Amino acid sequence: MGPTEPASTGGYVAPARVVGSSESLESVTTKIGDIPLSPRLDKLWLLGLLGAFGLLQLLFLSIAWLVTQGTGVWGLNIPVGWGFAIVNFVWWIGIGHAGTLISAILLLLKQEWRMAIARFSEAMTIFAVACAGLFPILHTGRPWLAYWLLPYPNTMGMWPQFRSPLMWDVFAVSTYATISVVFWYVGLIPDLATLRDRAKNRGAQWLYGLLSLGWRGSGRHWHRYEVASLVLAGLATPLVVSVHTIVSFDFAMSVIPGWHTTVFPPYFVAGAVYSGFAMVLTLILPFRWYYGLENIITERHVQNCAKVMLATGLIVAYGYGMEVFIAWYSGVQFEWFMVTNRMGGPYAEYYWALILCNVITPQFLWSRYFRTNVWALWMLTIVVNIGMWLERFVIVVTSLHRDFLPSSWDMYQPTFWDWGMYLGTFGLFFTLLFLFIRVLPAIAMFEIRMLVPDNAAKGPKE
Amino acid sequence: MSENNADTGALEAPTHWTSLEELARTPEFEAFASAEFPTAWEEARHSEAGRRDFLKLMGASLGLAGLSNACVRQPDEKIVPYVKMPEELVPGKPLEFASAVERGGYGTGVLVETHTYRPTHLRGNPEHPDSRGGLHPQAQAGVLDVWDPDRSRQIRRRGNVSTWDSFVREMNEVIANLSEQNGAGLRFLTGQTSSPTLLRTFEAIRQRMPEARWHIWEPVSRHHMYEGARRAFGRYLEVRYRLDRASVVFDLDADFMGAMPGAIRHQAEVLRTRNNQDFDRWCRLYVAEPTPTVGGSAADHRLRIRSGEAGALLAAVARALGLEVPRPKASVDGAFATAVARDLAAAGRGAVVVVGDAQPPEVHALAHAIHAHLGAAGHAVVTTEPVLAPVVDPMQSLRDLVSAMNAGEVETLIMLDRNPVYDAPADLEFGKALSKVPNRVHVGAHTDETADVSHWHIPSHSAFEMWGDVRSTDGTATIMQPTLRPLHDTHSPLAVLSIFSGENEGTDYDRVRKTWKERLKGDFEKTWRRALHDGTVPDTAFRVRQPKLDPKVLKGAPPPGPDGLEVRFVPDPNLWDGRFATNPWLLELPQPITKLSWDNAVLVSPSTAEKQGLEATDVVELRVEDRMVEAPIWVLPGMADDVATVHLGWGRRSAGPVGSGQGFDAYAVRSSQRPWNTAGKLKKTDRKKRLACTQDHFRMMDRGLIRAATTDHYASHPQFAHAREAHLPKLTLWKPWSYEGHKWGMTINLSACNGCNACVAACQSENNIPVVGKEQVAKGREMHWIRVDRYYSGPVEDPVLTHQPVTCMMCENAPCETVCPVNATVHGPEGLNQMVYNRCVGTRYCSNNCPYKVRRFNFHLYADWYEESLKGQRNPDVTVRGRGVMEKCTYCVQRINRATIQARVEGKKRIETDSIQTACQEACPSRAISFGDLNDPDADVARKQKTPLSYALLGELNTRPRTTYLARLFHRNDELPVPTPARQTESHGDAAGKGGTHGSH
Repeated sequence: MGPTEPASTGGYVAPARVVGSSESLESVTTKIGDIPLSPRLDKLWLLGLLGAFGLLQLLFLSIAWLVTQGTGVWGLNIPVGWGFAIVNFVWWIGIGHAGTLISAILLLLKQEWRMAIARFSEAMTIFAVACAGLFPILHTGRPWLAYWLLPYPNTMGMWPQFRSPLMWDVFAVSTYATISVVFWYVGLIPDLATLRDRAKNRGAQWLYGLLSLGWRGSGRHWHRYEVASLVLAGLATPLVVSVHTIVSFDFAMSVIPGWHTTVFPPYFVAGAVYSGFAMVLTLILPFRWYYGLENIITERHVQNCAKVMLATGLIVAYGYGMEVFIAWYSGVQFEWFMVTNRMGGPYAEYYWALILCNVITPQFLWSRYFRTNVWALWMLTIVVNIGMWLERFVIVVTSLHRDFLPSSWDMYQPTFWDWGMYLGTFGLFFTLLFLFIRVLPAIAMFEIRMLVPDNAAKGPKE
Repeated sequence: MSENNADTGALEAPTHWTSLEELARTPEFEAFASAEFPTAWEEARHSEAGRRDFLKLMGASLGLAGLSNACVRQPDEKIVPYVKMPEELVPGKPLEFASAVERGGYGTGVLVETHTYRPTHLRGNPEHPDSRGGLHPQAQAGVLDVWDPDRSRQIRRRGNVSTWDSFVREMNEVIANLSEQNGAGLRFLTGQTSSPTLLRTFEAIRQRMPEARWHIWEPVSRHHMYEGARRAFGRYLEVRYRLDRASVVFDLDADFMGAMPGAIRHQAEVLRTRNNQDFDRWCRLYVAEPTPTVGGSAADHRLRIRSGEAGALLAAVARALGLEVPRPKASVDGAFATAVARDLAAAGRGAVVVVGDAQPPEVHALAHAIHAHLGAAGHAVVTTEPVLAPVVDPMQSLRDLVSAMNAGEVETLIMLDRNPVYDAPADLEFGKALSKVPNRVHVGAHTDETADVSHWHIPSHSAFEMWGDVRSTDGTATIMQPTLRPLHDTHSPLAVLSIFSGENEGTDYDRVRKTWKERLKGDFEKTWRRALHDGTVPDTAFRVRQPKLDPKVLKGAPPPGPDGLEVRFVPDPNLWDGRFATNPWLLELPQPITKLSWDNAVLVSPSTAEKQGLEATDVVELRVEDRMVEAPIWVLPGMADDVATVHLGWGRRSAGPVGSGQGFDAYAVRSSQRPWNTAGKLKKTDRKKRLACTQDHFRMMDRGLIRAATTDHYASHPQFAHAREAHLPKLTLWKPWSYEGHKWGMTINLSACNGCNACVAACQSENNIPVVGKEQVAKGREMHWIRVDRYYSGPVEDPVLTHQPVTCMMCENAPCETVCPVNATVHGPEGLNQMVYNRCVGTRYCSNNCPYKVRRFNFHLYADWYEESLKGQRNPDVTVRGRGVMEKCTYCVQRINRATIQARVEGKKRIETDSIQTACQEACPSRAISFGDLNDPDADVARKQKTPLSYALLGELNTRPRTTYLARLFHRNDELPVPTPARQTESHGDAAGKGGTHGSH
């Protein structure tokens, strides 16, 4: 693939409707490129940004209160030492999975339909990881010392403790964040050059010029770009699997019933992809509607995402089933109690809500109607997002609140500041997302352009 | 600052002085300065320049004194440190002094650990008969009272700051005015006392002012015990149980290991024998009680009865023993009575019936008859001269005082360490009567409810700032010696009384010495020094007096108990009658049975709650006669039905910022006619009260947490404690670490544990454990490093109650260690799981991964870093933790290190066997906790861990804990059909602990 060999893809024929039939090279560039270059401040966009920015202030306030008062402002206690912070961390990291999966794995698998949504998903990934990254740092009792988790030479002569899954988390998440940012940025360069060339405004020309790193679109540039993309995709691919595997180790490596489970790594990865695709759809459906990009992000994209959700949702459902089965099959009373407590204990409603959201709801996706009806699908993705959050809540809280010694059992009640921090990260996420949409091309123009002639050749069918 | 207060407070004369120059001209200042700085003052006196320099120096030192606790000083008089410790002060090494703490007139011997004379920690005096090395929480927490920032520090007259000299002057005027009428109109109110010096002083007052009256008020008194002896023997006698000689003990509503004076000794005598497996020497413990107590937890058989039924039950026992007593009217558990009677008869001289102080005198008298009948009188139950003197009924004494006050006969009332405005029975309306007294003087450690309405308030010393004397339950006297000079401008009750006795000259030291000079034979100085050193005055125990029983006692039938709902008033296990309500350790300490912290409640049984339509935390109106108080309900399995038990001592209105307003005031419905149990009603309101309970779940869920069997079952199945472990492989990938040197371990004998909380309080004091407050406890964030879990097995209505102290298990395969990302919790070379506070960043992963949940996290800055006075109490060998770090039991590593250093200094290779005691172990009256070197075959802990009773809690997790438990054994009477609790716990693991009586969330 690539512009030098546009049509010869080893006998591979791109599936239909990747790009709407009416699109041309020019129209693609204009439609996408004009969003960041438009001189107008769009009112709805501004309203969205202000709303998100307002929520961001709640995040700052929550952090300030947390750091001055201590972790006690949250509802944590002994035995529930982890609560919303870790739930939210895992949730955001999970959401961050779609981007890399789409751009890396689907790139290697030459799934061209990914092109329309890759950029957006990658951006979403980075913002989600940024939100996720806040939690492990801030949930520590002394966040100002959290850098002790990094292996760096120091006068204390201390290394971190490499056996701890939290230590692995540091590497996994920071590597993932780094690769995601680099991959995303490298992918942006050709489009940044396009914007530089099309910009009328001095400032924009200067900014995009700086960011495009002197891209001229020469054959050598394209060659290097392709190689770099492939290398980065190769690097990112194991990360898609490793990050959530390691996040799942935070639980699976412990002795706590409900955490100590071998099915966790695959089930967490599937869950992450599941929630990632759900979030991609949640965001991209309004986005393409608002900017009229239905011809670029077509029904085919939407359907494919829905199918990935269905597949991963089934893996997740299998995971839930295995948790219950193994708890029973192992004959360990603590495991079985954990299951009965999840299903019938004080947090039972969370468990059943999770089953409803994550196991029952995605079954609608077997039907073409639900995969293609934008409103129904959009609602469904929100339900799945809630379900995935509930899943992490159930795993973290219900396992801890009643573990081995009944004498220590207790309840976890989230406080205002638990919610404040969670909602505040939405502020951060959407602020970044709104800025991204307005400042950078949310869809890879050059990649869509690649698809246009291909599409035109099949024109009559459309 | 405090020292400065203390001394400038004495500088009475110029009320307004404008400069230090002017101040320095007063004779008081001259006296003070010459005593304090003899040389400098001499110079200053003789030249103007020297004088100025001296004042500069003074200014600087006054300023410096405000900066720190540097002002803590040794008392002026000679005090004598205890045994092994160095005789002189060595900075960095603690010095111990023997003294005593008093409650209800009885003293318990303690050894006060001091660091540069700062008292920081107490332990029981092993040579004291009522301590024998053990110490209950109330005594343990006394050390905090010294440093209590809310202590009263200033003499007040009508609310304004005043001075001791003004007080003395005014009291002397009172004496002068009353001298013509021989002191009529002067009244004293004190608690019960056994202090020879106090008695001598009162005798002197009586001789000087024969018309002055001394009243005694004690909300929780033992008068029924004295009155019972009078009915049985014709005179007041002290009843003392020699449980070391007993083989069958029947506790009849006595709480003899908790509330009853001598409780520590009782616990030691009954439960220490359970540390060896010579079952013939174990005494069988029957407990019949309305509310579960620590005694009930240790019982072999426990029967739920109403308090009012105790007399009938004892009568049934007496009849079964062949005594001719009237047939009881109330119906009792005949099978239980017969079995107890048969067992008592078999025990003969070793049979003891312990009757509760709240039971009517008739029941006490009947017990004496039983003891006489069985030959136990004079052997396992002895009588001596009363320890408390004079023997008066405090209720009658207070009633007399109130009527005198109402009649206008009281002109000056001196109240010494009493708070009757709060704790007098409601029907006496003490406060109203008190307002008719023209001159009211209150002496006490706090500006309490009574101080608030008194003309004079004299702050009193804490227990470790004053000289005094007190007797134990067997009469053995202890000289209370101070370990530091008073921190504030405080004075002792003795000093106040001495104004009236005319013994104005000298100090308390002189007064106490004078008392004992008259009493001690031989070389006084030598005996005195020895008494101070040992903490007991030799040969002061009372001789046994065993008069003949008056046969008439068999005729008297005890009065029937109240009908309907029986409301019982019992002293609080932590706050007692309310006097400890200013102590945050005791406020926060979870109560032994209910596990409530920072509150009291109306305790009812599950079926009574159901009958009345009540749930835990419902607020009810508790109505007794025409009085009412609002209180929350707590449903407690093991309670007798139709009984509502309320703990006294809560609901203080003026107990400082910490104690005021916690819980509800049960005195509001207590009457002087029926102060112990009475009929009452509960009326539900539609409100709930949030209660802080540290243990919501009380089922073991068939998890084998407390393993138990009868002694017979153990004889036939010695491996019963390991039955459920048989199939579990103990696999590990690693070669086990071999510990060359010491290998520390702990074993807790569940048969000897009754859940008394002594270990928890001792740990708090030793390890600088902060208090977090009710809100934080309710959220599940209490900080105690050792907790005592309480489980029930068997039917909810009549469960078997067991306790299990849980410390850090120091697992060999510690789950916490592998998950800490920063190496903040690591395994030490002697097997300790160590916590490095400085390194901790607070991920709390270690706590999540701890199966025992023994780790505690500083969610906020719990330790008070800013209150200067609290710093005095802190153990300098233990870090005061900051916000955001994890902490947990360390096996008192500071004590291990001290011993290690000492051994190295002495050139020894190993620390001597069993020479280290952890704080919890030291405090435990039962000696249930053993600690030592598992590598040392002679160590107690090593021997205990080898017995088949030793099992690891959650051993199936392969954590290989260092702390093990010895399974609980019940020394059951086969006649009483009680299934073995081991079986019962098996069959009662209901899912999710959702039993109907399951406590609240």
